[in-house]
Amino acid sequence: MNINKTIDKALSRRNFLVGAGTTAATVAAATLVAGCGNDNNNSGSSGGTTSYSDTDILNFALNLEYLEASFYLYAATGSGLAATDTTAGSASGYSTVGTVTQGSAAKVAGTTTTQQQIINEIAFEEQQHVKALRFLLGTKAVPMPNIDLSFFGPLATAAGITGATFNPFASFDAFLIGAFIFEDVGVTAYLGAAPLISAAGVSVGYLSDAAGILAVEAYHAAYIRTALTANAVKAGATSPTSSAYPYPGIANQVGALRATLTVGNSGAPGSSNTGNSGAAGSSASVEVPLTVPTSATSISSIVAADSKSAIAFGRTTNQVLHIVYGSATVGAKSGGFFPSGINSVFATTTA
Amino acid sequence: MATQETQLLDDILVRSRRKMLSLGGAALAGLMLADAKPAQAATTYTDADILNFALNLEYLEANFYYLAAFGCTIDKPNAAAIAAGAPSAGIPITGSVGTAGTVTVSGTTKVPFGTDYATAAYANETAIEEGKHVLFLQTALGSSTYVAQPAINLDAAAGGAWPTLATAAGVAGGSGFSPYTSNLNFLLGAYVFEDVGVTAYHGAASLLTNGGNLSAAGGILAVEAYHAGLVRTAIFAQDPSSTSIGAIAGQISALRSALALAASPVTLTGTAATLPTLDPNPDDFGTAVFPVTLAGVTSYMGARVVDSDTTDTTNPIPLAIAFARNTTQVLNIVTGGGAISGKTVVSPAKGVFFPNGLNAGPNGFK
Repeated sequence: MNINKTIDKALSRRNFLVGAGTTAATVAAATLVAGCGNDNNNSGSSGGTTSYSDTDILNFALNLEYLEASFYLYAATGSGLAATDTTAGSASGYSTVGTVTQGSAAKVAGTTTTQQQIINEIAFEEQQHVKALRFLLGTKAVPMPNIDLSFFGPLATAAGITGATFNPFASFDAFLIGAFIFEDVGVTAYLGAAPLISAAGVSVGYLSDAAGILAVEAYHAAYIRTALTANAVKAGATSPTSSAYPYPGIANQVGALRATLTVGNSGAPGSSNTGNSGAAGSSASVEVPLTVPTSATSISSIVAADSKSAIAFGRTTNQVLHIVYGSATVGAKSGGFFPSGINSVFATTTA
Repeated sequence: MATQETQLLDDILVRSRRKMLSLGGAALAGLMLADAKPAQAATTYTDADILNFALNLEYLEANFYYLAAFGCTIDKPNAAAIAAGAPSAGIPITGSVGTAGTVTVSGTTKVPFGTDYATAAYANETAIEEGKHVLFLQTALGSSTYVAQPAINLDAAAGGAWPTLATAAGVAGGSGFSPYTSNLNFLLGAYVFEDVGVTAYHGAASLLTNGGNLSAAGGILAVEAYHAGLVRTAIFAQDPSSTSIGAIAGQISALRSALALAASPVTLTGTAATLPTLDPNPDDFGTAVFPVTLAGVTSYMGARVVDSDTTDTTNPIPLAIAFARNTTQVLNIVTGGGAISGKTVVSPAKGVFFPNGLNAGPNGFK
């Protein structure tokens, strides 16, 4: 069939360009053997090329969800994921379950009932995302990698946040900054990964599931950005860096660091028919700084989307890893929140 | 890692693979059909039909936010929108498919936000973003393909869409409800639309065949979820005990849920297992707190800033995944029940916000 040929050609070319899949051979082979209709190899069954599978994409997301869930659960309860939610699937290719370096991780201090309910909600939903992905992956779910929650301090320093060592568990406002580090990244990561899911993956619902998780991440991001904005207005702040409530400015410093870690690492802007100057792989900044409304004609900056068409940004797996590894170095395979890297064929940054 | 070339190749791959599935591979094609198409009104739709369905909804949303933020409809030039990048002549409402309809509305619609600068700024931001979505979809579809704005009712006077909807939801004093009279009422008006936008784009995502369209739809889905998160955050902040506007948000969610259920494949066909990607009812929750289990401990209460599936009994665990709705369900919500008569799908669906129904091509959704 001609279509097969076209696909194979395109895949070979694509894999050559991406260069991400060379370590995926064994995983890809395993998925082919398993071949149960809900596990589709993106290299095509006849291509023989090495590439990533839908399993690899879901496992990439699972690594990120382990990090987010650990952070929010510590913030909500003072401890992390239940051990049963971190184990290695028997066919995952991994056997060692990682541990969490706690640092100053603890239940967030001094919260009101409402603030506590917010933390509980986000913790619950991120925990369910871990469970959801593990459920979808079955025996192929990778275990939780080593996670370092003491990285917030060095990250804050890198972002130029001055003063005492930054601790996202010290207050609700500091928690909002900690959450800000992850949430817009979650949105962009799912958006970047969604088009990589194979057609067969689409038909068994992976795309819909990913889109549904993407939406939840955007709800979370909106909460964080709205809370920072509303608190600033309430406190009488007139700019993001106003001493009355400086947290929007601190969040913007985090955003600027994320841009520094990713800009220039990946090629040209994406497909022109999205109208989105910040499509996955863009070399432009995909950060939208918070603003503080000071009049009835002010325009808030809750949504992180491109200014032309109001479409949210995507990030490639490499760009996401540069952020969570805290390193702009191409070839980095660990660091930051993941001191031993992630459990994934994508673990090493290739661009 | 992706360059323009890989992006284009991705697009080709996604399209080709899907095409292959639709041509052969019986088992997978069967899955795909079972997954994506039941209860959709049309049988041979294209990406353009799906994007045009979205464009109808964006016309509605954009007009609401323009009226609330700027006091005029999207086709009228206004300084605030132009300063934010809107076309100086206003947003086009005349398309190649269907006749451009007017927006029925009366009295002053610019919300008196007073010194509530935060909510005013949310309204301004959302208006501008929804306007951009209209423009984007028009551009993506092309001038010969995109639908004109349908007739829209956003009236708060007696018999208008707002009091009709509020009454149907059982809101006390609903026959006098206007989203234009206060900052809190504006939030409730916004609440009506935003979660629906999320479910509509979520439901449509798997139906799109072009990778570029999928990326764009995913990006708009995210923005709708940002908007919904914003509105729910603001309502929860105003009423954490869910006794005033939070309670009304709950009534709106219950109404949406009931309208979606009436139009669900389960109700229409009487069989439960027809549409695995759509969620069991209720598929909508208000902003009241609910019990959550964290790391096996059950004593916690969580907020509900996210409208997601936390009661899904078809899976061993609630997946905290946003809801998806098919086009019939969305139509039934925005027409206030106009898409269903008994167990029969009515097309074109008419009522409430869309008094004459949607504009759509021959195989489009209406």
